[in-house]
Amino acid sequence: MIGRQPLFPKKRRREPPVPPRVETGRSRLLITGALFSVAFLVVTGRLIGVTMFVEKSQPQYSRTVGKPALTTGRADIVDRNGNLLATSLKTASLFANPRIMLNAREAVNKLATVLPELNRRQTYEKLTQDRSFIWLKRHLTPRQKYEVNKLGIPGLDFRDEERRVYPSAALASHILGHTDIDNRGLAGVERHFDQQLRKNPTPLKLSIDVRVQHAMRKELAAAVREFRGVGAAGIVMDVRNGEVVSIVSLPDFDPNLPSDIESDTRFNRATLGVYEMGSTFKIFTTAMALDAGRVSMRDGYDATHPIRISRFVIRDYHAKRRWLSIPEIFMYSSNIGTVKMALDVGVAEQRAFLQKVGILHPPPVEISEIGAPLIPGRWREINAMTISFGHGLSVSPMQLVAGVGAMVNGGIYHAPTFLKKPPHSRSTGHRVISAKTSERIRRLLRLVVAKGTGRKAAAEGYLVGGKTGTAEKVVGRRYKKKALMSSFIGAFPMNAPRYVVFAMIDEPSGTKKTFGYATGGWVAAPVVGKVIARIGPILGVRAVDEKAPEIEREMAIDIVTQKEGKRRLASF
Amino acid sequence: MIKRATLIWMFLATAAGIGLFVLKYEVKSMEGQLPTIHSKTLENLEAVHVLKAEWSYLNQPERLEDLGRRLLNLEPVKATQTIDIENIPFRPVGGSENNPNLTKVHPPAVDQTPPLFAYIRRKQ
Repeated sequence: MIGRQPLFPKKRRREPPVPPRVETGRSRLLITGALFSVAFLVVTGRLIGVTMFVEKSQPQYSRTVGKPALTTGRADIVDRNGNLLATSLKTASLFANPRIMLNAREAVNKLATVLPELNRRQTYEKLTQDRSFIWLKRHLTPRQKYEVNKLGIPGLDFRDEERRVYPSAALASHILGHTDIDNRGLAGVERHFDQQLRKNPTPLKLSIDVRVQHAMRKELAAAVREFRGVGAAGIVMDVRNGEVVSIVSLPDFDPNLPSDIESDTRFNRATLGVYEMGSTFKIFTTAMALDAGRVSMRDGYDATHPIRISRFVIRDYHAKRRWLSIPEIFMYSSNIGTVKMALDVGVAEQRAFLQKVGILHPPPVEISEIGAPLIPGRWREINAMTISFGHGLSVSPMQLVAGVGAMVNGGIYHAPTFLKKPPHSRSTGHRVISAKTSERIRRLLRLVVAKGTGRKAAAEGYLVGGKTGTAEKVVGRRYKKKALMSSFIGAFPMNAPRYVVFAMIDEPSGTKKTFGYATGGWVAAPVVGKVIARIGPILGVRAVDEKAPEIEREMAIDIVTQKEGKRRLASF
Repeated sequence: MIKRATLIWMFLATAAGIGLFVLKYEVKSMEGQLPTIHSKTLENLEAVHVLKAEWSYLNQPERLEDLGRRLLNLEPVKATQTIDIENIPFRPVGGSENNPNLTKVHPPAVDQTPPLFAYIRRKQ
């Protein structure tokens, strides 16, 4: 306190003089006091820190417990719009512990009153075994569980299990596949993505649209009924990115009941079945010839006489017996003209072209049921000739659809996929034909629907184009007469294609209404037309006035009807 | 002699002590409630999960189409029924109020679809 200026001079007078010892004591006290204040300040600071600010090291009860989340053993599968296609629901499964069971016979009798479907003798045998665990019935409904509990039989208990449920039943059965009783994927995407569905809880989003799927399935089923076919297949694919919006194979099955599935309904005609596609292959042959610059739309070939090669004769179904121009060959589906076109391009070139458009290798789609194409071992001239009009080479409908998609979308091949691609994702396609060739193919396909064999595929407003295909079925090593594969592959709208639509009926029989014909034009083309009319508004495709002059100009084709004759401008 | 400041500090210390005590017990009881709330949340999540399955079962396109046809007289949209937005004419003055179609009352929908679980059991 020495040298300190007095704060209150009045007081000073009263204070006695300070002895030096007291002075020392005071300064010691001051130092101690200062130390204590510092210590308390630290404690205060720490107190404020602990109470007011949350530190990372601090254990937090609510955080360690975590938020409750629903975990299922298998992720959901949804369609492109988020509609649930497959999910896992909790169920109770009934098991018994025979070692603590008092009276097995009485237990069987009691159980039979609430679970009449249990086999009494088998159940009795199970309950008298010397084991401590045996399943009696898996996946009971909540009501059944309640009723069994009410019986109060000692030795019975439940174990929570999960059951895969497909709310839309058979609608997308072949693409979804199914699981076994232990929820292991056995077919379709359930099998292909088995590991992912178990590990990753986020729903798997498919490219399928249930509304389109329904339209396709319904129209195909109606056609199978009408023409008494044995089966059918249908595909709708987005030509801009390869997304498969609908894929149907008939007959189909209910994946909710995997044990009841009959083996012939399991067969996926759209991806696993490989078939000779017939005239739809002429799209590839014509595109190849036009793209190679071998022919122009004004050129043509003489189709007067059938072609004889070794023991085969190649004829025209709708024979005109004259020179035909390229559009005519396509419109009348002339085999003779197409064969000559293919031979002009060359055997090796044909093989290379089909390789490019995905015809010679299995499509890389995300299910396990994929059929490999049947390709001739040695690709000779005779093979090239038959392949040009779709015989002697078997492919799955999925391959055909992906290939034709590339023919109409401006020439880019997109590998087909069953998964929805993220919006604005880069296209992964590669160019197979020029945009100019693709535009010509579009005009030709429109011509077939406007004036040719595919007239029944027309859907007012959607500018449908396409090609019919009728092939005799190969059974064993022979063609089965009268057993046809009738198909139609179309795309719409033809001025700027968005979707390829394919329909195929297996072994149809003609009816009175079709004058006994069961060809692609009579059987499959109407299916495609009806499907397009239904899905056009759903998929948001803008309808156009087909008679508008600018549309007619876009679709117009010069048809030359004589080799050096005068030209007729057809405006359709 | 106890100074006034000491009194104030003693009071504050006691108040802080009591406050801390009360707070601690409150937190403890809330911690006790948390598991109950969590299990209830989980129950509700499970219920929502089942309802979602039920919802998509009831929204099958086939069923909706049938209900629409039978009860609402609806048909699939045709291309001729669509129009570009720029081609829509402006509504004339006093338009839709006089439209008798808009006041038509439909009978309530009667639905015979069995519940999802009943459906699965029946199939078994």
